Amino acid sequence: MRDDVIREVEQFLYREARLLDERRFHEWLELFTDDVRYWMPVRSNRYPKISKAIKILDRDRYVEEELAKEDELALLDENRETLVGRVACMDTGMAWAEDPPSRTRHLITNIEVEPGDSVSELKVHSYFLVYRSRAETEQEMYVGARQDVLRRVDGAWMIARRKVILDQTVMLAKNISIFF
Amino acid sequence: MATDLDLKQLVDVDNGLVSRRIFIEPKIYQQELERIFARVWLFLCHESQIPNPGDFVTAYMGEDPVLVVRDSEGQVHAFLNVCRHRGTRLCRADAGNSGSFTCAYHGWTYRNDGRLIGVPNIKDAYYGELQRERFGLIPVAQLDSYKGFFFATFDAEAPPLLEYLGEMTWYMDALFDRREGGIEVIGGVQKWIMPCNWKFPAENLGGDAYHVQWSHAAAVKAGFDTGPTGKTESGGSMVCPGNGHVMICVGPADGDGIAAPEILAYEDEIRAEADKRLGPRFGLIKPIVGTVFPNWAILRAGARTFRLWHPRGPEKTEVWSWVYVDKAAPPHVKKAIRLAGIRVFGPAGTFEQADMDNWQECTRTCRGVVTARYALNTQMGLGHERYREDLKAWASDFRLSESNHRQFYRRWAQLMTAKSWAEL
Repeated sequence: MRDDVIREVEQFLYREARLLDERRFHEWLELFTDDVRYWMPVRSNRYPKISKAIKILDRDRYVEEELAKEDELALLDENRETLVGRVACMDTGMAWAEDPPSRTRHLITNIEVEPGDSVSELKVHSYFLVYRSRAETEQEMYVGARQDVLRRVDGAWMIARRKVILDQTVMLAKNISIFF
Repeated sequence: MATDLDLKQLVDVDNGLVSRRIFIEPKIYQQELERIFARVWLFLCHESQIPNPGDFVTAYMGEDPVLVVRDSEGQVHAFLNVCRHRGTRLCRADAGNSGSFTCAYHGWTYRNDGRLIGVPNIKDAYYGELQRERFGLIPVAQLDSYKGFFFATFDAEAPPLLEYLGEMTWYMDALFDRREGGIEVIGGVQKWIMPCNWKFPAENLGGDAYHVQWSHAAAVKAGFDTGPTGKTESGGSMVCPGNGHVMICVGPADGDGIAAPEILAYEDEIRAEADKRLGPRFGLIKPIVGTVFPNWAILRAGARTFRLWHPRGPEKTEVWSWVYVDKAAPPHVKKAIRLAGIRVFGPAGTFEQADMDNWQECTRTCRGVVTARYALNTQMGLGHERYREDLKAWASDFRLSESNHRQFYRRWAQLMTAKSWAEL
């Protein structure tokens, strides 16, 4: 991958993070294509097939994958319309999970850029550490990875797909009222 | 233990006053674990999660870890998920399939029917003297199921499950048995920790229709849900079919919150089948959200979800939340219900994310010794409730009422003071 493309993608993701931390949600929404899937599947503890802790009876049906499948449960499974709706909630003055607002800091690292499925797309991997301070002394951390598909539309990058992989099975944060 | 006299003073449902001490004091919490969670029937899982021999899920009953497993012959068991040797948590996966379970510490192995079948060095180190048959996994005292929902109790003297659920079974049917074949659970569980006492979510989903119009106004305004429980013009009632089980019911013609057109069309299609299965009571009232005492919440308001509020200390609750669908529903409806469940409920749900701050604040302020001197007001609709034969339940006269809160805490206090089931 060309260095200038990598730099461009890095700057795109850093700017996106700053829009979220500055609560510029309407500008943030403009970064998504109309057909976006914004997906954070649930995760569970599984013994791998080679584990000696168990003796699998039905190996064909056995699921060792920790992440839920496409048609299973998720923490977020959004399209453009529902992302817009989530931001609309915050504009009502009655979205109590964010009123007073959370203070967030999105730290984005480990960015890797690969060719996408078409010439106008890229596959981008990144890691995140999102810190949230809330109310008086509350603090929470959301840590994980993202797998994005970026698409070039009218000369600008847009997010056409985002898979967010959280590193906890029992989420230690009390809720998710922020974006990743 | 808190004395019986204390508890009677703390929960004064006749006057609609509940002391804040029951949400914060460690000794009361410990007594809850012993007198409620170690005695009553608790929900474990649905049969669709463990359909085949060897299938297992791990669960909790109160703070006790439990392993629910269908053995190789097809029989379902529930055991303490604890090795009998040094007491480690035996199975550390959330779900899977196995003929046996081997402890990670010293390698003791248990068959999926609970028998201890393997002990390393049993001949030399134990001289062949260990009585393996005495050290199988510890089973629950009673295990039973109702229409595919497995429950267990640690108390051999607890009444049978059907007696414990009583008339609540009809209200469960109104959510889970509308169609032939009942429901199935969508794969995956949302699990998260809330910094609140477990009774705040239990009372909320069991009887608080009042908060919807304010707490959840943003999600209703943004079109995620129609918020029917907060409406008042079309009938509906808070009902308690007995034993502390409580249910929020809307009027029979009301929607249940769902805004997705494919789900609304499906509900219209199956209404005749549901009416036929549920009988004339379904023409009087529409159960929508409830609490099966003490900690299993069941919903079809916006989302089709049920969840457990696992107690984790006076100020902490671990939520396990599932989404269910009618087994007979077509794939596009199942998909729509899954997505509605994720977008409205769960930790990121546009409705539910707004509840945690409130329950947290309700709990944390109880630390203030002066604050805790002032009881919580549970008086809405006090005296405006009666037993209704047609509903086979205690019911509030008006849809918004805290009659279910009073029923829930009345039962809580009875269990907390009764020394045995015979006293109840």
